[in-house]
Amino acid sequence: MSLLEITDLAVSAGDLPLVDGVTLDIKAGEIVALVGESGSGKSLTALSAIGLLAEGLDVTRGQIRFNGASFLGEGAQDLGQVRGRDLAMIFQEPVSSLNPLMPIGAQVAESLIVHGVASVAEATEAAIDMLDRVGIPDPKRRAQQLPAELSGGMCQRVMIAAALISKPRLLIADEPTTALDVTIQAQILDLISALAKQDGTAVLMITHDMGIVAEMADRVCVMYGGRIVEQGAVEAIFTAPRHPYTGMLLRTIPRLDHPPKQALFAIPGNVPSPKNWPTGCRFNTRCDRKSGRCDAVPALTGDQHRTACFHPLSEA
Amino acid sequence: MNMVLPRFSVQKSLAWWPAVLLAALVCAAVFAPVLAPLDPDRQNLLGRLKVPGYESRGVTYWLGTDELGRDILSRLIYGARISISVAVLSVLLSGIVGVAVGMLAGYLRGWWETLLMRLVDIFLSIPAILLAIITVAVLGPGFFNVVIVLTLTRWPRYARVAYGQTLSVGKRPFVTLSQAMGGSVPRVLWVHILPNIIGPVLVVATLEFGLMVLFEAGLSFLGLGVQPPTASWGAMLSTGRNYVATAWWIATFPGLGLFLLVLSANLIGDRLSDTIGKGR
Repeated sequence: MSLLEITDLAVSAGDLPLVDGVTLDIKAGEIVALVGESGSGKSLTALSAIGLLAEGLDVTRGQIRFNGASFLGEGAQDLGQVRGRDLAMIFQEPVSSLNPLMPIGAQVAESLIVHGVASVAEATEAAIDMLDRVGIPDPKRRAQQLPAELSGGMCQRVMIAAALISKPRLLIADEPTTALDVTIQAQILDLISALAKQDGTAVLMITHDMGIVAEMADRVCVMYGGRIVEQGAVEAIFTAPRHPYTGMLLRTIPRLDHPPKQALFAIPGNVPSPKNWPTGCRFNTRCDRKSGRCDAVPALTGDQHRTACFHPLSEA
Repeated sequence: MNMVLPRFSVQKSLAWWPAVLLAALVCAAVFAPVLAPLDPDRQNLLGRLKVPGYESRGVTYWLGTDELGRDILSRLIYGARISISVAVLSVLLSGIVGVAVGMLAGYLRGWWETLLMRLVDIFLSIPAILLAIITVAVLGPGFFNVVIVLTLTRWPRYARVAYGQTLSVGKRPFVTLSQAMGGSVPRVLWVHILPNIIGPVLVVATLEFGLMVLFEAGLSFLGLGVQPPTASWGAMLSTGRNYVATAWWIATFPGLGLFLLVLSANLIGDRLSDTIGKGR
């Protein structure tokens, strides 16, 4: 059974559709990457799942089921019970995501205290253990410190510790490494996947970095213009991408054997703003395989490896 | 030689005097029964309107006597109690009410925001003196009614500051994260928002303290505050006004007391706002 099931999700800001018919499922213990450019709706999809859409944004359609219970519409469960306990999230800006006036130990312990799982003393003890697990040296002393006394990488570790202390079933990681430098990035990603494996936590990793995807994910969902254009196992996507957008996205990864002094590949044009989304396939303004058929909306077809394209790069 | 000597700087030592002055006035208020040389309410009709330094039967009236022959110094010391306790209580009450309202409006947004902040606007539009007269007319004059009047008129100021600060702090990712952790509204407000907005609120509270002292004196001056014979600086000013030509000391010393108390509170507030920033 799927742990998180998102069916036909649509999110709008007033009349403006931002996410349009996203269907996604995550099984227990699985690492799924949600890939796409800025504005493709990947963060909104994740925020809807945890019920933290910013003001002015509403889910207009669709179903979200976590662990079998519905979060939207009639009979919706209280998210507060699940958040921080079975469902945790980490954000992209580690430093500003921590309360500047609260010792980090207390922030790591927060979800245990909020949900009444442990007494303050037990939670503090558990927080120190957790800080140790995420590789913070001298955790007992560090737990007393404020976020300003730690580096960005350390703060991201603290956030991971805070998210994983209650052994959630699903961790949503929204670009957890964008604010960090590359050497720290690898450490943080290794840490997330190692801890997730240990505790059997499923991870929904939101990123625009195909390198991260290749390294970590079991499955990949590629989003463009508020829709999923391709999804499948990571090997399948990387070896035989079907959607032209996925193909171009993979070509944008700089390679070491790229001839020097030659321009790197870039996808022509810009992501159209949601106000100017084209009819039909949303990628048809930038696609090199466009035909008249592309003015209709392609359905996401396929079994394990699904694509929404009339002219896929390789056939199923 | 690298001896560690306490560095003396004129500017730094001057920076402390408002705090020292305020502390001295607070001490005078707290220890009034010990410090006051005489009973502040004991009249001596034969020794009316005597100049500062007047001596009678081995007792020195250092700051003179008032129109009923009461010792001005003792009344001044006891009057500090009224000024400071009214100011402290009304700052505390209006601060608590205002900050709670402002945080709720700024955090919950939507319908609550409209309701609470329009209420703030309504209260801001009522003239303080009018509200004071109405309250006194309904409840009668007295110490606690002055506190109530001041709380009713001043809480919107805190609500506005707390509201603005909550709006900006509430947008910061750590607040979203604590929601993602499943924190309830009271917990998020108390643990995450309040500590992050308290600085500017404290600046306002310090400046308001000086204003509350003046308001209390003003209400007592108008006869709407603490009632005689209880010593209050405002009431002393009010009666002293009639004798300014003949006995300048009756109105001058409470005026000086007010001046020093308000000045020290405002200087501390200014310094706080320089250190903490914003909030005014």
